[in-house]
Amino acid sequence: MSDRRSFLRGLAREVAGATAPPPRPALSDGELERYSRQLIMPEWSERAQRRLRRASVLVVGAGALGSPVALQLAGAGVGRLGIVDGDDVELSNLHRQFLHFTPDVGVPKAHSAAAKLGFLNPEIVVEPYQVRLDAGNAAGLIEGSDLVVDCTDSFQTRYAVNAACCAARVPLVEGGVLGLGGLVMSIRPRETACYRCAFPEAPPDAPSCATAGVLGPAAGVVGSLQALEAMKLLSGIEEPLLDAFLQVDLATYAFLRVGVSRRDDCPDCSGA
Amino acid sequence: MAARTLDISGLTCPMTWVKTKLELEHLAPGDVLTVACAPGEALENVPRSAREAGHDVAVDGTTIRIVRGE
Repeated sequence: MSDRRSFLRGLAREVAGATAPPPRPALSDGELERYSRQLIMPEWSERAQRRLRRASVLVVGAGALGSPVALQLAGAGVGRLGIVDGDDVELSNLHRQFLHFTPDVGVPKAHSAAAKLGFLNPEIVVEPYQVRLDAGNAAGLIEGSDLVVDCTDSFQTRYAVNAACCAARVPLVEGGVLGLGGLVMSIRPRETACYRCAFPEAPPDAPSCATAGVLGPAAGVVGSLQALEAMKLLSGIEEPLLDAFLQVDLATYAFLRVGVSRRDDCPDCSGA
Repeated sequence: MAARTLDISGLTCPMTWVKTKLELEHLAPGDVLTVACAPGEALENVPRSAREAGHDVAVDGTTIRIVRGE
């Protein structure tokens, strides 16, 4: 009896399948409209959009680079965004950190950022982590992420993020900006050159934003390039900056792509 | 070869092409999509976008017949 029932159910499915209307796109009408201007691009597709929606991305730093990165990725439809930052918003941040507004001064950046991102795109999940990433907590913060975007401004943190991503084999987009210049690099750990392969040691006299200054638009360009890299890596469209970094000089508008190779003796990524 | 139909007559740009493009993404090369369109802007834009995307397009009144390209 049960055999006959399952046969009939199968037959019913076949008949229904032959006449059923095509399956609806797996994106809601609201999502179709929200993402319509990227969905109509020949390079983009429903599949690319669904890959973004499935993705969990950790943005480390909600400052000058983290602002464009988080806003672009939230707007584009990345399903889950973690925002890591232990600092509070300061008045001197506002010229370049456009996730934060004057009334936010004194508010933790992670929470200020999460509030704006929630307004921008309520379809996604935003998780603020009010903590400074370091070598001790990096692995725990990165766990479960499909991709990390490093938007911090110190070499020490950058190396901690790189080491943790290499250990966990989580793809990473690195970035840095200073004055009118910057750098972007994507990493598939243990497949392509990592940040430490490209830059084995921090320069001894490395200036930071606090001492050297930066123009907001420069950070906006570099952060937007990082967001673009994240979207390329997550969706699989076009060529990300792997085994290479892009050096950006916004004084002259010179963009230089510099090839780099994995190092056999890299302490971060050669242990595979 | 499969054939599908789509009604975009109640939609406005860019949703007319969004719906059409995503429907085409579900088809195999050579499959046919018949699109019911309202007169006006979409009847100009959707066939043009489909041709630019590499599909074969024929328009008959307000019906757009698209054969998916490679």
